[in-house]
Amino acid sequence: MSTAPEPAARPRSRRRFLGGAAAGIAGLTAAGATGFGLADATDLGPTGTRPRGGVRAEVPLYGPHQPGIATPAQDRLAFAAFDLTTTDRAAVQIMLGLWAAAAQQLVRGRPVGGDPAPEAPPPDTGEALDLAPAGLTVTVGFGPSFFDERLGLAGRRPAALAELPPFAGDRLQPARSGGDLCVQACSDDPVVAFHVLRNFARSARGTAVLRWTQLGFGRTSTTSRTEDTPRNLMGFKDGTNNIRGVDAPAMDAHVWVGTETDQPWLAGGCYLVARRIRMLLESWDADSLADQERVFGRAKTSGAPLTGRGEFDPVRLDARKPDGTPVIDPHAHIRLAAPATNGGLRILRRGYSYTDGVDPDTGLLDAGLFFLAYQQDPRRQFVPLQQRLATRDNLNEYLRHTGSAVFAMPPGLSGPGDWFGRQLLR
Amino acid sequence: MKSYPRRVGVAALALALAQGLTACTGSAADTPATEPGTAGSRAGSGPGGSSAPHAVNVMVTADQGCVPDTTHLAAGPLTVTVTNRDAAAVSEIEVLSGERIVGEKENLPPGFNGTFTVSLTAGTYTLYCPGAPHERSALTVTGTATGAADSSLTALWQRGTVQYGRYVDTQLDSLVETTTALARTLHGGDLDAARAAYLAARPAYEKIEPVAESFATGGTDLDAAIDARMDEVPAARWTGFHAIEKGLFADGRLTGLGRLGDGLVRDVRRLRELAAHLRYQPFELANGAQELLDEVARSKITGEEERYSHTDLLDVQANVEGAEQAFAALQPALVRIDPTLTGTITSRFAALHTVLDRYRDARDPSGFVRFGQVTAPDKRALSAAVTAVQEPLSRVASKATS
Repeated sequence: MSTAPEPAARPRSRRRFLGGAAAGIAGLTAAGATGFGLADATDLGPTGTRPRGGVRAEVPLYGPHQPGIATPAQDRLAFAAFDLTTTDRAAVQIMLGLWAAAAQQLVRGRPVGGDPAPEAPPPDTGEALDLAPAGLTVTVGFGPSFFDERLGLAGRRPAALAELPPFAGDRLQPARSGGDLCVQACSDDPVVAFHVLRNFARSARGTAVLRWTQLGFGRTSTTSRTEDTPRNLMGFKDGTNNIRGVDAPAMDAHVWVGTETDQPWLAGGCYLVARRIRMLLESWDADSLADQERVFGRAKTSGAPLTGRGEFDPVRLDARKPDGTPVIDPHAHIRLAAPATNGGLRILRRGYSYTDGVDPDTGLLDAGLFFLAYQQDPRRQFVPLQQRLATRDNLNEYLRHTGSAVFAMPPGLSGPGDWFGRQLLR
Repeated sequence: MKSYPRRVGVAALALALAQGLTACTGSAADTPATEPGTAGSRAGSGPGGSSAPHAVNVMVTADQGCVPDTTHLAAGPLTVTVTNRDAAAVSEIEVLSGERIVGEKENLPPGFNGTFTVSLTAGTYTLYCPGAPHERSALTVTGTATGAADSSLTALWQRGTVQYGRYVDTQLDSLVETTTALARTLHGGDLDAARAAYLAARPAYEKIEPVAESFATGGTDLDAAIDARMDEVPAARWTGFHAIEKGLFADGRLTGLGRLGDGLVRDVRRLRELAAHLRYQPFELANGAQELLDEVARSKITGEEERYSHTDLLDVQANVEGAEQAFAALQPALVRIDPTLTGTITSRFAALHTVLDRYRDARDPSGFVRFGQVTAPDKRALSAAVTAVQEPLSRVASKATS
């Protein structure tokens, strides 16, 4: 074919506006001109008919704590921060009620809302209709700005929900930071996770808008005893000594907010710190193996601390080489992050690797770690830890913190009829 | 009546679920959905007796679906109080006459309740809870209504479509008038006058563009002839507003534009012949309003529409006005069916206007700042305001059945 390509057809209305009237004039029949989407809409089938039984069992939405924190980390993440666009508290209540109803449907592999009527847009957007939930969890939280004057909730803001202080070397982008609310959707199926954000954003329209989103493609932490420790994009096992969700005493000691809180609505909840940490992978890949291991304080292949042979061997921070220098570098990541050097403080990490393609300015990969850490009080956990790491960690040479947010995560929903933040907003 | 195939196979049969009759003292006001405990869970009770009640309480549960506490009601105003206890798939409830919605309440997820009123004449109706395991219950209404009869709803829809038809006719007249004036200036030698005439002619078209789009099936694509952008048609066939816009604002000369102006006048006259005195269906108005907002979201917010004059905000204003006019024609009937939804759409249109008004500039011939001055955060705010209208508006067509 040597002819020049025709320009793309002019986009057509997909709705039946005046279809009958116009066709009548033109002498055509409008019968059957039912328009785009109707076949899809009627093919959705009744609720609850999707194939069930993915590899991972369904994770219940209801319970004393929200799922997606202590529950085993799935492979995929879809995370979103929302900003309110209303000052109407009732509208926010309804949005959170619709989110809770949708979450309860989705974690059981059912679509949002009921059966669609042909003349109305389907209540569920549809891309996950044939998919098992694959361990889907939906976790919702509130940022410090949620408690400003707009909804009159200043008196209900927990003292520990403070904006994070600036850290050395921060390169934070406002468009990737903060937010009035957050939604964390995790599943072994990326479509299922994304589907949550899309439908939540839809039911939020007029009440809240997406501020930023982050997709994650590989869990970087293990939160159960049955999973292997995964590797981050630097190729290292990180988080070997993470808190395990099944370790109830550790969860109570370091993660769950108890009755000591200044805000009773948060008892049973916790705080989430999210940091988008870009890794300068091109530089890292040019570093020698010995130096990479010095930076982390672990052997790359085995994951063992440089003072041991196996991944789970104890980290001996005081071990010295024959020449008297420490085996684990004074600025090694493993040393600075170790509870033993931090007054015993621990956090529950549940981060994911991410990539957002190529940095348009430099042509370098924009990829790294979307760090998610759950804890009892960021002021005495994440903040001092990051202050230490930000000034001394060997890793800083290869890292840039480009996004940051903190949220209060309310306790779990008690059952049907409960909704996210009900104790806070009632 | 339009065929409106709701889920088939669910028999709309009455359940013998009457749980004792209550008489009416219920309020007639629509209230926003609220949490249980902050609103009365009973619509009202009064002295018993032979008269059927004017109130019904509906409990929505995951196990049993929608269960009304009575199915025999008296003609006249009816107050429906709905409590969603634990049905996660259900967030709305409707009263249907046949398949036509005569009253409804949306946004009722588990843990919320709400009240709506509807005026019914004697007959059989259906209480419909989409998504519930038991979706439909028959309601029997007896007696003579003393208040406004439901039949007036049909008249309200009817009146609205006639009103909208007149609006379209007015815009078509204005379009022919302003494009004729534009063509005249294109044959002259005053570039500034021609540019002003271009801006004056744009709004009438952008207010009713879906009308023109609907005439694409008859052989000539009038919308493309009138309003195509350069990359949408072969260069040799590119005519209409934007070809003229390129000459006026990018090339800055009138050469050859007179012929395009004459062609544009021919095409808008043809459009008026085809579209004048058309009769519309209510759902077509709802879809047309949605189409106009899609126009904003799809091609205006990106600055693609008026890429040479950068007067996209003038078009946005016209699209929004056109959408609002179509909605206004539906409003008198819609407010009877769902006052909450109607109020939501109205207030979101108002919020959209507030956003648009920020960009008014009396010194600019278009009345707005040029699109290049609109910052990325501003575009996000405008986009959010548009989608905030679109979402509730998208549910109107299904209610506007004739």
